[in-house]
Amino acid sequence: MTRLPEDIHAQLAAAASGGIDYSSTTLHNAVTAWCELGNSSDLLSVGETLLRLGARLAMVSALQPPAPEEEEEEEEPDDGAEAESAKPKKEPPKTFGGTPLDGTSYEIDYHFVLGGDFLTVVAYVPSGGSICSLTPFFRSADWPEREIMENYSIVILNHPDPRRLFLDPSIDTAALERLIPYSTLVNAASTKALWDKVLAAKGGAS
Amino acid sequence: MTAAGASNSYTIPVGPLHVALEEPMYFHFDIEGETVREVDIRAGHVHRGVEYLTTKRSIYQNVVLTERICSLCSNSHPEAFVMGCEQIAGLEIPERAAYLRVVAAEIKRVASHLFNLGILAHLTGYDTLFMHAMQVREIMQDVKETLFGNRMDIGAMCIGGVRFDLDAEMTAYLLAALDKLAPEVAALADMFRRNHTILRRSRGVGVLTKDQAIACATVGPVARACGLEYDVRVDAPYASYDRLKVDVPTLTDGDVWSRAMIRMSEIGVSIQLLRDCLRDLPVGPTRLPGRPDIPAGRAMGKCEAPRGELVYFLKTNGADEPERVKWRVPSFPNWDALRFMLRGSKIADIAIIVNSIDPCVSCTER
Repeated sequence: MTRLPEDIHAQLAAAASGGIDYSSTTLHNAVTAWCELGNSSDLLSVGETLLRLGARLAMVSALQPPAPEEEEEEEEPDDGAEAESAKPKKEPPKTFGGTPLDGTSYEIDYHFVLGGDFLTVVAYVPSGGSICSLTPFFRSADWPEREIMENYSIVILNHPDPRRLFLDPSIDTAALERLIPYSTLVNAASTKALWDKVLAAKGGAS
Repeated sequence: MTAAGASNSYTIPVGPLHVALEEPMYFHFDIEGETVREVDIRAGHVHRGVEYLTTKRSIYQNVVLTERICSLCSNSHPEAFVMGCEQIAGLEIPERAAYLRVVAAEIKRVASHLFNLGILAHLTGYDTLFMHAMQVREIMQDVKETLFGNRMDIGAMCIGGVRFDLDAEMTAYLLAALDKLAPEVAALADMFRRNHTILRRSRGVGVLTKDQAIACATVGPVARACGLEYDVRVDAPYASYDRLKVDVPTLTDGDVWSRAMIRMSEIGVSIQLLRDCLRDLPVGPTRLPGRPDIPAGRAMGKCEAPRGELVYFLKTNGADEPERVKWRVPSFPNWDALRFMLRGSKIADIAIIVNSIDPCVSCTER
C-alpha cells in the first residue's frame, strides 16, 4: 500500500509557489501531516501533485477559527517562523500566509489519505474571499464543497453543481455562522415579549 | 408503444421514504423503457445539525453525543472521536482497553453486516431468508444486551479506555455465543452462494468498476468488492489490531453479490478476531484513571466502521468545548458511487442496488 513518500515536504513545497508550513507526527506507524498553504491559490497545483501520488480526498472541513483571547500580547506565538511579528498591538495575529485570525476568516482543511497516512492541506480564506473548487482533480470534493457553501459564506469558484446539498434553498445561507438560540426560535425567549405580542394582537386592552 | 424514443423516456421520483431502508433519501431517475439512464440524489431529510451541536457540548459530553449520530455504527463514532482526543492529549490507553475496544467494534460489525444481508434477502422477495438472517443476528443482539446492557448504543468508549469489562462468566458466555453463531453464518453464506433467487437478483447487478471506485473515493466493503484492498484495521492499525491477524477479503466483480459476500466473509473474520481477543486478553486496568485534560491541538481519528473508513477531525483550543468536530462517514462517498451502479440498471433493481452500499442516511446528513 502506497504511503506518503519520504520527500513529500519537498514535493509540496515545489507545487506551492506561495510557500508551505509543513509538520508531521507519527503515531503507531501512521503519519499525520499538516501542510498549511501560504497562498490559497496554490490549492489546485498542490491537489494535482497529490492526485499524481495517488492520494484520496477523504474529507473537507471548514471552520471559522475564533479570534485568540486578548491577554499575553508580549509573547506573540509565532510558530510559522514568518515575518510580520512586530506589529502594533491592535493587529490580530495572522496565519503563516498572512490571513488575519480575527474571527472572520475561514480555515478550509482538505484531508487526504494515502495508504494509512493522513495529509491535511490547510488553506485560509479571508472574509468575503473565495477558493477554487478541487473537483477538477477530485470527484469526491463535490459534496463536501456543496456542504461548505451552505454552511459558511465561502465562495467556491468553478464548482460544477453549486446547488444546496442538505439544506433547503429557502433557508438563509451560512447556517453554521448564525446561532439562533432555541428559545428565540420557538418564540419563548422572553415571557414579556410573548405577552406584548398577545396584548398587541388584542389591540392593547388589558 | 412504437412511438419515438421521447415518449419512451420519462422521469420517476423514488423516495424519500422506503427505498430499501426506512431512512429517507430522494432519487430522481431518468428512465428509458425500463432502464435507468441518469440519477440525481437529493439529500437533507434528516439533517439535524449535530456538527454544530458538538461545539456547544463539552468534549466528554461529545463521547455520548457522537454515539447517537447513527445506530448501526454507533460504536465507531465515539471510537474515532476518543482516538482524536487521545492523540491531542498524548494518551496511551491500557493494553486491556485496546483489546476490549476490538471486542466492542467486532461485535457491532457482525450485527451490522447481518442486518444488511437480511435486507438484501428481503428485497429479493425471499423473506424466509430475511427472517433467518435476522434470527442469526439476534444472537449478537443478545450478546450486546448481556455485555453492555443495550442492544444498539452500547456506550463502550471513553477517553482513555473503555467503560466495560469482561469477567470469566461474560467471556464464557461470549465464546458460547460465537460457537453458536459460526455454524449459522456458514449456513447463511452457503445459502447466498448457491440460492438461485439470490444469485439471479444480485450477480452482475449494480456493477462498479475499480476505476470508478477510486474516482468516487469509495471505502469499506463497496471498495473491497471492486478489488481495492484497503482496511483501516490493517493500513493504520489502532487499538490492538496490530497484534491481531486481520484478513481483508476482496473480490473483483464489484456487483451487489460481491458486496454481500465481502460482508459475509468479514463476519467470519470478526468472529475469529473476537476469539483471538478473548484468548490474548491481557489483565490490567480498562481505562486511565481520572478525567484527562484535553489541551489545545488538532488531530485526525480514523477507524474501520462496519461500512468502511470513518474519519474524524478534531480541533480544540483548551476550552471545555471543542472548536470544531467534523467527521466523514463511509456512506458519504459511497452515495456518489451509487450513480455509476444505477446507470443502465433496471427499475426493479433500484432498491437492491441502493441497499448494497449499506447506506446510512442519518450518518451522512448528521
